[in-house]
Amino acid sequence: MTHDRWTNGDSELTNALRVLYAAPEGESYWDALEARILDYVARGDERSVWWDELAYMIRPGLIAAAALILAATVAMARSQQLEARSAYATLITPSPASIEPSTRAASVGDGDMAIHLLLSR
Amino acid sequence: MTVPAESAISERAIVIAAQRGSDEAFAALVRLHQRRAYAVTRAIVLSHEDAEDAVQEGFLHAHRALDRFRPDQPFGAWLYRIMANAALDLVRRRKVRDADELPESIPMPFRDPAESGELRERLQGALTRLTDRQRAVIVMHDVEGFTHGEIGRTLGIPEGTARSDLHHARAALRRLLQDIRSTS
Repeated sequence: MTHDRWTNGDSELTNALRVLYAAPEGESYWDALEARILDYVARGDERSVWWDELAYMIRPGLIAAAALILAATVAMARSQQLEARSAYATLITPSPASIEPSTRAASVGDGDMAIHLLLSR
Repeated sequence: MTVPAESAISERAIVIAAQRGSDEAFAALVRLHQRRAYAVTRAIVLSHEDAEDAVQEGFLHAHRALDRFRPDQPFGAWLYRIMANAALDLVRRRKVRDADELPESIPMPFRDPAESGELRERLQGALTRLTDRQRAVIVMHDVEGFTHGEIGRTLGIPEGTARSDLHHARAALRRLLQDIRSTS
């Protein structure tokens, strides 16, 4: 006779699942697991303490570095602002009128100066 | 998961002692709950080894979060929720790691299915086709005897969802394993 093993109700399925998921038996297994868990928790807490201490030590350094970066950024921004202002001021301010003649006078030779003097009379 | 009133009181005392930093009290909590914790994680992960890993991870989380636990609440429910989350995290990590290794479909070799090894393999294969939650619900209910309400609280889902997951998980397993027949 052929019958469907899995459609005769859920009890067969449940039994198969119970076999598959049966927890380990024997006190020695659970004692060993307990020891393993406690060891893991102790080591985990040690790691946690180490990280906490490291974080505690690193924190002031990070704060100082952040402050330094902020100060440098502000200083750089100010410097750029000043440079921009100075460049703008140079562009809009006219050159002093006295500069050209005096420059020209300095560049003209003595002979030319005499001709200039004669012509101007 | 129902705890008699007397043992609940003594458990509360142990929890308070553990919260005050007693290692012995925490060890006592591990001893009290490790079997149930294993059952919860085993229902979610796919192997015994992963269940052990999830249990130890869960207890580590519980130890770190112990000061946030309110002793007037049932400790077991709180702990098993942590266990379920640890197991679900492990399943997610495994999925990411094994994404390229898992085959698309379960191989079904033509051998005598009456062999218990074969049945076990097929059932294991079929269980991997369920969603993580469906698998957890059917194992917690049918194997470990959790009620729908307890499953809901442990997995963080409504009781009705646990009930419907159980129905769908059973139907899926029946469908996936319907070709296994025995002759007598």
